[in-house]
Amino acid sequence: MSFEITVAKRLGEIDVALEMVAGDGATVLFGPSGVGKTSVLNMVAGLLRPDRGRIVVGGEMLFGTGVDVPIERRRAGYVFQEARLFPHQCVRANLTYGAAAGVDVTTVTGFLGIDDLLDRWPRSLSGGEARRVAIGRALLSDPAFLLLDEPLSSLDRARREEVMRGIEHIRDVLTLPILMVTHDPEEAERIGTRIVTMAR
Amino acid sequence: MLDDHITRRIIVAAAAIGMVSAPIAAHAAERKGPLVLAAASLQESMTAVADAWAKRGHPCPVVSFAASSALARQVESGGAADLFVSADEDWMDDLAKRDLIVTSTRVTFLANRLVVVAPKASRVRIPVRPPAALARVLTAGPLAMADTNSVPAGKYGKAALTALGVWAQVEAKVVGAENVRAALALVERAAAPLGIVYATDAKASPSVRIAGVFPENTHPPITYPVARLKTSTNAEAEGFRRFLISRAGKAIFARYGFNAR
Amino acid sequence: MPSAEEWTVVVLSLKVGGVAMMVTLPIAFALAWLLARVRFPGRLLVEAIVYLPLVVPPVVTGWVLLLAFGPAGPIGGPLERWFGISVLFRWTGAAIAAGVMALPLMVRAMRLSIEAVDRRLENAARTLGAGPGRVFWTLTLPLSVPGILAGAVLGFARSIGEFGATITFVSNVPGETRTLPLAIYSMLQQPNGDAMALRLSAISVTLSLAALVASELLARRAGRGFHVL
Repeated sequence: MSFEITVAKRLGEIDVALEMVAGDGATVLFGPSGVGKTSVLNMVAGLLRPDRGRIVVGGEMLFGTGVDVPIERRRAGYVFQEARLFPHQCVRANLTYGAAAGVDVTTVTGFLGIDDLLDRWPRSLSGGEARRVAIGRALLSDPAFLLLDEPLSSLDRARREEVMRGIEHIRDVLTLPILMVTHDPEEAERIGTRIVTMAR
Repeated sequence: MLDDHITRRIIVAAAAIGMVSAPIAAHAAERKGPLVLAAASLQESMTAVADAWAKRGHPCPVVSFAASSALARQVESGGAADLFVSADEDWMDDLAKRDLIVTSTRVTFLANRLVVVAPKASRVRIPVRPPAALARVLTAGPLAMADTNSVPAGKYGKAALTALGVWAQVEAKVVGAENVRAALALVERAAAPLGIVYATDAKASPSVRIAGVFPENTHPPITYPVARLKTSTNAEAEGFRRFLISRAGKAIFARYGFNAR
Repeated sequence: MPSAEEWTVVVLSLKVGGVAMMVTLPIAFALAWLLARVRFPGRLLVEAIVYLPLVVPPVVTGWVLLLAFGPAGPIGGPLERWFGISVLFRWTGAAIAAGVMALPLMVRAMRLSIEAVDRRLENAARTLGAGPGRVFWTLTLPLSVPGILAGAVLGFARSIGEFGATITFVSNVPGETRTLPLAIYSMLQQPNGDAMALRLSAISVTLSLAALVASELLARRAGRGFHVL
């Protein structure tokens, strides 16, 4: 199984709880805002510590009894809702930040359509460009799985289509397990191999 | 990368500062005169004496001018210097008590007088007696003095005015300055019509004149002792001390208004 | 043109200020990072001690340094015994006084800058496989550069302006501890010293202005949108 997640976490007034087992392909976490979808991604990435539960991805235990793998060793390719590009590094340096030495960036820049951006600075990029660079950066860090947090939000129609195709390419050609958060039913239908609905 | 870039610049800047300063340090090390700790009020006279000593072929003494109290504390904390010239006997006594000076080298070699100064253009004369007349003149405007509680010049002035029986009337008119030279500056700039300073301060300033001199029996004697410090290692230290108390040395101090003792 | 005497004072001030700033810089950054990022018992105490020279009269700081660095003091004793070093009446002592007085300003500027570094960027770097050390060197440090520069400039300016602690601690020795403010003070004690005091004051103002302008230019060129002022 790609994702076996059983977690519970109290965040202020909200109880976030999820129990799911999912196979290959793209798993979409769907639900209204404020239900804790992003918190689940953070727990899988190691940025948020569950009160209890266990997280197993691709057969490897990341969190559970006596186990709490450090963030940098979880091999999560995390694309945040904001691109979170490093402002003092050019696009090329951003892309290779997590990559092994000598990696060929064109393996991802081609299908993401960001070949021409390599020497630009993050603050000169549009929202869609920054999002695609962030996806490329996550892919080049040799992840075992991808976490996508609202990867299509705040993009115009044409940009959405470009990014959507990129994600489908990752799902179908690169066959990386994906855990994606969205609140848009159309996106969930199109990308999700399966949909997990979170409710209050 | 960005960080490398900046680090390199900072290193370049530091190297530049180092290069500028290196020749100075080398210069200072080659031939050093004794380190003399001297009361701030001796600034011009001591500098002139040090220059005269250097003209005779000796390495020029290095003189640190600060308040006698600050200098004495530095010696008490173990600072290694050669000579100490204090503006009062108390601080020298303190060092003697702590066994920090070579007692046989202690000499009180200068004395000073307390005077009333007025701006050069002023015609005022100070009647020493009777008290009523003196008080009337001194209270005509603000009276510039060094702080009468903490600064020696101010304390001597308060003692003299008390002895002459006018302190109670004058006190309200006193403008206390942080040191005696600041009190002098008030009179120089005519911010106060009268001020109480040392005779040497009056002599140093071309823009004031002495309007009156306090009788010596109205205040404790104002004397300047010198002594060699136990920590002294400089071979020239004793020679310079002897020059200070010699006829030639005292003659230079006399030009600045000091009385030889 | 400045006279030889004035030149000595200026060069000495640059040396004392420069060395004080360079030596204090890494210490200040480490303290700033500690205060900004680490919660540990006694943190408030460390913070209070670091900021103390900012609020205590400089003469108190100078006196405490004198007690600490004298040959009988807790720091001066070992220095003298083990290394034969004494800082009293020496420019190194002036640099120590300047550094201590500059420390709080430097820590403040750097701490603000470190606190302004977006933790979300650091989290992103962690998910890309970077350990805490690499995150520090590649993100926290370079993104704090504006604060480091601002702190360095403030520290340098404070150093070449230090008076009270210096004269109390290491006296007023020409060529060793008589920096610009002490030389200006000495000149003001002489009725005929106004002209030289004025020239030295002008140099002092020029140096401080130059330091501020230089850092702004440096930051602009290096930081692409990072600003010190």
